[in-house]
Amino acid sequence: MDFFANFMAGFSVALEPTNLMFCFLGVFVGTLIGVLPGIGPVGTMAILLPVTYGIAPTTAIIMLAGIYYGAQYGGSTTSILVNIPGEAASVVTCLDGYQMALKGRAGPALGISAFGSFIAGTFGVIGLQLLAPPLVSVALRFGPPEYFSLMILGFVVLTYLAQKSMAKALMMAGVGILLGTIGLDTMTGMPRFTFNIPELLDGVGLAPLAMGLFGISEILLNVEKTVKQELLTTKVKGLFPNLQDWKRSIGAILRGTFSGFFLGILPGGGAVLGSFVSYALEKRISKTPEEFGKGMIEGVAAPEAANNAASQGAFIPLLTLGIPANVVMAILLGALMIHNITPGPMLVKEHPQLFWGVISSMYLGNIMLLVLNLPLIGLWVQLLRVPYALLFPMILYICLIGAYVINNSTMDVTLMFLFGVVGYFLRKFEYEPAPLVLAYVLTPLLETALRQSLILSGGTFGIFVSRPISATCLVLAAALLLSSLLPMIRKKRETLVAEAEDDS
Amino acid sequence: MNADRVSSLFWLLLGLITMYGSVQLGLGTLREPGSGFMAFLAGFFISCIAVGIFLQSIIRYRGTPLQIKVLWAGSSWHRSFTIGLLTLGFILALEGLGFFITSFLLLFCLFKGVEKLSWGKAVLIPALTMTISYVVFNILLKSNLPRGIFGF
Repeated sequence: MDFFANFMAGFSVALEPTNLMFCFLGVFVGTLIGVLPGIGPVGTMAILLPVTYGIAPTTAIIMLAGIYYGAQYGGSTTSILVNIPGEAASVVTCLDGYQMALKGRAGPALGISAFGSFIAGTFGVIGLQLLAPPLVSVALRFGPPEYFSLMILGFVVLTYLAQKSMAKALMMAGVGILLGTIGLDTMTGMPRFTFNIPELLDGVGLAPLAMGLFGISEILLNVEKTVKQELLTTKVKGLFPNLQDWKRSIGAILRGTFSGFFLGILPGGGAVLGSFVSYALEKRISKTPEEFGKGMIEGVAAPEAANNAASQGAFIPLLTLGIPANVVMAILLGALMIHNITPGPMLVKEHPQLFWGVISSMYLGNIMLLVLNLPLIGLWVQLLRVPYALLFPMILYICLIGAYVINNSTMDVTLMFLFGVVGYFLRKFEYEPAPLVLAYVLTPLLETALRQSLILSGGTFGIFVSRPISATCLVLAAALLLSSLLPMIRKKRETLVAEAEDDS
Repeated sequence: MNADRVSSLFWLLLGLITMYGSVQLGLGTLREPGSGFMAFLAGFFISCIAVGIFLQSIIRYRGTPLQIKVLWAGSSWHRSFTIGLLTLGFILALEGLGFFITSFLLLFCLFKGVEKLSWGKAVLIPALTMTISYVVFNILLKSNLPRGIFGF
């Protein structure tokens, strides 16, 4: 009865005209930036953060969430038609999607991608609705030591999955924590590292940081390259997959949904991990694995389903524990805190309208996305023809105006620019900015949890290992760190052995 | 010059300065951590990882180390440098000239100077953008964008 009552209450919030409008705006913008290479959901959410200051928190989160899962839909369009992923989670879709397009099957590829995303998104929302409330009761057993240890585990998982060096990802997490300490100490009121700049008393600001690291730096890096877009000139037709396509894809869609959803829940997981794992799984269980990469529809259906399911699953740790599973959720956490709402176990009790309203809006958002992505495919194809030379100045302009209107201050624009330059050099030197932003957002919670734990324990760190949940999280984190070192040790040993044999 | 070595030395310096600054803020005790406690831990962590990256860059030297000059090889770095300079100029001129004039000039320089578009497009697109922005931000949203010496 509770489930049904919550379901209806959520829909009553989601169907309010303002929320419907912002849901549509969010999924439309999400699809747009998913289609357009050069800017991703993180940068877009950061740019639109200031827009959310003047609207209700529920509406703000509905819109920002729409951008996230909308981008998963849009990213498949460029992957299939141009062989350039619109955003990171669609990288895998390029492998078989573009090959299908070359064989004249762009329509079914786009169609199965949209339908698969819709099915996965819908199941994902159902899973979110069923799993979130029971997890809240588990989360109520979390105290400061458990929160601290879980956040540490989240950092380790995120860095473990870093595309490049884990050490560099850990470094970024450390720098993020340092940036998070700038401003007034919430416990003592003492200014920290503000250098007598009054604007820094409130800290660096999530919007300038994220816009700089993900928006400005992306522009600075992209303008250095000449990316040749080979847009398919053949007309895209036949968007509805045939019966054979469905027979081959439905299993892949369901498996992708399941794997993507649970991988999305993991701190450090998300749409990217979900898409890669689901593709690998399909290839592993296929009777014709050698055909993957040559236009297998399962190779499109599975990762597209997984990345959408993962984007729903990622909301679970945020809404129930207040821990963002990835950098996108970190932006959402920042947005909630800007509205003076602390996500966590008490969210469903203190703000039920927000909790159930956001979840219910995702059903509607998925329907809107199916409508946007199929009939409007012609529009998205035309947008792909817009050269980057016209796009990037507009993105830069939007970033500049977005940074200024946060506090009507040039300081935020300056900070955004500085972080843009920093982000440019970080990426040049192969440091990923995502762990930095995640650590930055988590630092106030992390510091509070650490200090409260030490006060509770009378100054000993034993409290983190004496409590079972906390100890489990720390053991898992240590195991992940060790397991990442073991291949290096083994490889080094093999290298040394080989060198010794050469010398002798 | 090995890129990882250079970056690790930078981070080590940052970590050490952070630790020094944190001590100035006050570390407190373990029973009652002070304002500098978390920052000290962050600085210590950064310093340790920096040493690790530095050692990693030496141990891996027999492989293919990441050289600084390679990072910019084959790229049109002067374009990003130009855009960076133009954006800096925008920030410096913002309060003086006002938001719309500086934005127009920035967009014009990007379209004409950097992307070499025609005069028509380089003037028309910024003009259109500024017109729409003026309506949206000044009239509809009543935002307080800087007006500068020309009053708009």
